[in-house]
Amino acid sequence: MKITYRWLQEFVETDLDARAVADRLTNAGIGVEQVAPVVEGLAGVVVGEIEAVERDLGTSAAGHHNRLVRVALPDRRFSVVCGAPNAAVGVRAAFAPPGARLPGLGEVKAARIRGVVSEGILCSEQEIGVSDDHGGILALPAEAPLGADLSTYLGLDDWILDIEITPNRPDALSVVGVAREVAALTGAPFRFPKVQVAEGETEAAALATLDIQATDLCPRFCARVITGLTVKPSPPWLAQRLRAVGLRPINNLVDVTNYIMWELGQPLHAFDLDTLAQHTVVVRRARPGERMKTLDGQERALGPDMALVCDPEHAVGIGGVMGGADSEVTASTTRVLLEAAYWDPGSIRRTSRALGLSTDAAYRFERGGDIEAPPDVLARAAQLMGDLGGGAVARGALDAYPAPRPLRRLGLRLARVERVIGASPSREEAVRILQTLGFAVDDSGDDLQVVVPSFRRDIHQEDDLVEEIARIWGYDKIPLTLAGGGEIIPVKRPPGLRVARAMSRALNAAGLFECVSWSFVDPERLARLGWSDAAALIALQNPLSVERSALRPSLLPGLLEVIAINANRQTPDVRIFEVGNVFAPHRPEDGDRPAHEDLRLGIALTGLRAPRAWFNARDRVDLYDAKGMAQTALAAAGIADADTVPFADDRVPAYLEPGRAARLVRGGVELGYFGELARPAREAFDLPASVFVAELSVTALTALPPPSTRYEPLPRFPAVQRDLAIVVAAAVTAGEVEAAIRGMGLPLLTRISLFDVYTGGQVGAGKRSLAWSLTFQAPDRTLTDAEVNRLHEQIVAEIVRRFQAEVRGA
Amino acid sequence: MAADPRVQEVLERALAEVAGARSTSDLEQVRVRVLGRAGQLTAVLRALGSIPAAERPKVGEQANRAKAELEAAIAARLETLKAEEHRLTLEADRPDLTLPGRRVPPGAVHPITRVTEEIIEVFEGLGFSVAEGPEVESDYYNFAALNFPDDHPARDMQDTFHLSADTLLRTHTSPVQIRTMKAQRPPVRVICLGKVYRRDILDATHSPMFHQVEGLAVDRHITMADLKATLQLFAREMFGPTSGVRFRPSFFPFTEPSAEFDVRCFKCGGEGPCRFCKSAGWLEIGGSGMVHPNVLRNVGYDPEEVTGWAFGMGIDRIALLKYEIDDIRLFFDNDLRFLQQFAGLPGR
Repeated sequence: MKITYRWLQEFVETDLDARAVADRLTNAGIGVEQVAPVVEGLAGVVVGEIEAVERDLGTSAAGHHNRLVRVALPDRRFSVVCGAPNAAVGVRAAFAPPGARLPGLGEVKAARIRGVVSEGILCSEQEIGVSDDHGGILALPAEAPLGADLSTYLGLDDWILDIEITPNRPDALSVVGVAREVAALTGAPFRFPKVQVAEGETEAAALATLDIQATDLCPRFCARVITGLTVKPSPPWLAQRLRAVGLRPINNLVDVTNYIMWELGQPLHAFDLDTLAQHTVVVRRARPGERMKTLDGQERALGPDMALVCDPEHAVGIGGVMGGADSEVTASTTRVLLEAAYWDPGSIRRTSRALGLSTDAAYRFERGGDIEAPPDVLARAAQLMGDLGGGAVARGALDAYPAPRPLRRLGLRLARVERVIGASPSREEAVRILQTLGFAVDDSGDDLQVVVPSFRRDIHQEDDLVEEIARIWGYDKIPLTLAGGGEIIPVKRPPGLRVARAMSRALNAAGLFECVSWSFVDPERLARLGWSDAAALIALQNPLSVERSALRPSLLPGLLEVIAINANRQTPDVRIFEVGNVFAPHRPEDGDRPAHEDLRLGIALTGLRAPRAWFNARDRVDLYDAKGMAQTALAAAGIADADTVPFADDRVPAYLEPGRAARLVRGGVELGYFGELARPAREAFDLPASVFVAELSVTALTALPPPSTRYEPLPRFPAVQRDLAIVVAAAVTAGEVEAAIRGMGLPLLTRISLFDVYTGGQVGAGKRSLAWSLTFQAPDRTLTDAEVNRLHEQIVAEIVRRFQAEVRGA
Repeated sequence: MAADPRVQEVLERALAEVAGARSTSDLEQVRVRVLGRAGQLTAVLRALGSIPAAERPKVGEQANRAKAELEAAIAARLETLKAEEHRLTLEADRPDLTLPGRRVPPGAVHPITRVTEEIIEVFEGLGFSVAEGPEVESDYYNFAALNFPDDHPARDMQDTFHLSADTLLRTHTSPVQIRTMKAQRPPVRVICLGKVYRRDILDATHSPMFHQVEGLAVDRHITMADLKATLQLFAREMFGPTSGVRFRPSFFPFTEPSAEFDVRCFKCGGEGPCRFCKSAGWLEIGGSGMVHPNVLRNVGYDPEEVTGWAFGMGIDRIALLKYEIDDIRLFFDNDLRFLQQFAGLPGR
């Protein structure tokens, strides 16, 4: 909200300058975002009068009909070229003589235009810097004093304060509201605008009637009637003030409603009384299917929870939000019914959101109006409207306020201030702060008894008063103390965080980079990736874009996007991982958590295994890198032996290449998977090379029993190693052979380690050579060669029998 | 008495051969020829039995002395030859010491994780535990329990992604505070952290997804002065010993009194002119305040018995400031050239 410094000064007699006032406000929670002069670079522009047209200069290329006119100031006359259509003899206007300064143009100099010398400029609003209007000269009323400084006359020697008001402080959405804060902060006297209304003879009640039916939506409705009005432009000072705060001047009657709303915070609406059937205002709920055309020309569908201002025949406005087109003030209006009401904040907010219609009035009402304000505000507004429109204010106000609300009363213990803040101003200072903010304070007892003014809707309880005292006293006065001596509480980290960090560190050490990608995914791309379970996706109701319209069910899409981004930026070798939640619909075990969230670790690898270097082979990553990284991460989480279990043929996720992916399982608990990305999935992300991925559930593995660490005595007797090299059919897996060896249950065989895998000419087509190093060891003696040979032969026999293996080098 | 001519002859010839040996294997041949089982000196010693008894001790002694002398000469020569041979071996394989070493370049955690870790460490040192909660939340935990009235514009302060009428993506980590307090009795000292979501269009300074950390302390005798001191301590750990904090009154439904907190610009020290803080001298970091009595009541605590403070701040914003990153989108692009820049930074 913008207000001007001089407007503020009408209500608080501060001698601080605009910037100092802004600083004080900001330090009290009324954040001033910017302080700027109304216009910058304006000097020496005065009120001049066009005395005569000296010569016609013809039409310019731009279509302006230029004339040389004589401009009079009290002591001098100037010949000025002017192309404005509204430049007529007798018009008083903004005139910049040579030597004056204009915002965009700098110093004005006499200049030769169309063969004549122009001694200065008759200025448009745009040239003065008050608006973008360049359609004519800034014409002033006939009573504007000739030769007067335009800045002073229009109030341009002022500052605009752009203020951000937090939603709890609707009372500060006005010049007076801000002035009250300044008064409390500086001790300068605060003056509420004098309300004196000169009323005519006619009773308002004889001119109009109120019939408020929806008192829940409209607890108070006040109106005044002003008659004998003439609609015309507002005086320049008023129009200029509205422009300065960002409002568009319209005419004297409408401008009064905006001006008073800005000044006092109470939205007003002016109805043309003669458009209201039976001169009666009805406030009721909208009827099913009812529609109306609002001031902005839009036809709007209304709902039953919306309050309408109507006459007995039709709706004339959406209460507290916007007036109707049919009842608005027009050039021919002479009698006005001026409305000041209090609308239920929740209802206004629902209406405004349902209609997608945010107005200055709705903005204030949804934050909460002041239910006691309407009578005084109306009196002031009616008086001003009468003054500016040459009309008479009817006697009395119409006021429908069936259930007056008592003011809130609160007790305040000063010890509570100390208890919450850790320090406190003196009792006298606390009382003064509350009083200057508009609270009535009874200081006679131990505790203060405080009456909350009706405009402070945000003050509900004692601690709200504590904040008022603290913020005006100054947060900078709060000392620094560290609470000590309390109970000692053990410091804990959630297991997921702890385990994920350990896994991250291991992957970092292996050269992988951690990524943070979006929790949002594109359902369409997910489908192209091969994600089949669209029903299990959680969709946003109000996404920013379709690309980010559902919650990720896997870390994979995000990681693939990262690979794609890097590939597009000449980084083809990418080895990354991410730790983050993935989302699925609520399951019973989630309790009051609305969705199922699973903390995952995702890994994606593509391109070269190691950076190109003189000592590195130029190998590309493969499936075993993905598996190895998953195992590295699992080992860091204390899980050294997860089982590799193939997917059932019909269960291979479509984004993984069948036969090139497997699950990682431990003790019946599904930990994740690794595999090669399927070709369609690669194409969905436009990835140039093969990608190998793995995904583990950190949540699942933290639920496993923690690994027990127990010391094993070191062997005291030497181990014997034997190599076992076999050639088997290529379909026989290393895992099967190992399982068979382990299945023999040989207690002296302590370790099996695959050290060579070979396919090629020497072993023949369809065959593969596998070689293990077997370690034999006894805890209580040195094994003899004979013993080891016997064991080795047993193993060989078993393998040959089970897998039709040939033993190499045997 | 003159030396036995045979011994003398063998010794002199052998010494000459030792001196003339050009390699360790030459030398070994000399040793075997003279001192080996069938060596010349060995033969002399073996033949002692065949010489007159009176001469035997003398010849024996001469032979033994010659043997010792020869062994010493061989040892000395061996040392010389080995050194020479080693020198030649090394010379034949001269390293280029400027070649890059066989490094395994480490990866790095994401800068946001890095800053998160720093924050956790500071608060763990102060006795705070870490708490986490769901990112998909109910309206109750995200708003109602935090004293946001229904249909109140305060809800506009945090533009929300909705999943259904009652569920949403949390707009702050404050629901974790509610969950934590509901699960335990005071005293409470936790920091809550994680991803949060607001319906802001992605640009250089806004992101619909970002990361937050919040602190919460509830106990008897907790005051706003403790909050200020804790944040000051945090600022100094995070931004350097000359850092400081400033409070500005503000409004959050869940705190009363509420304050925005700023940290003294750690680039200019508040001395300006400064491009970093736009010469304000202060950097806006987060919001804070005393836990609203309504919030304490909502979790079953008695505001007369305990008081509490809470603060919240954007981790992304701190990372942007700390590393002088000018575009928040860099965090979520995960360009490796960006991520690599955080690989070599010294840890805390």
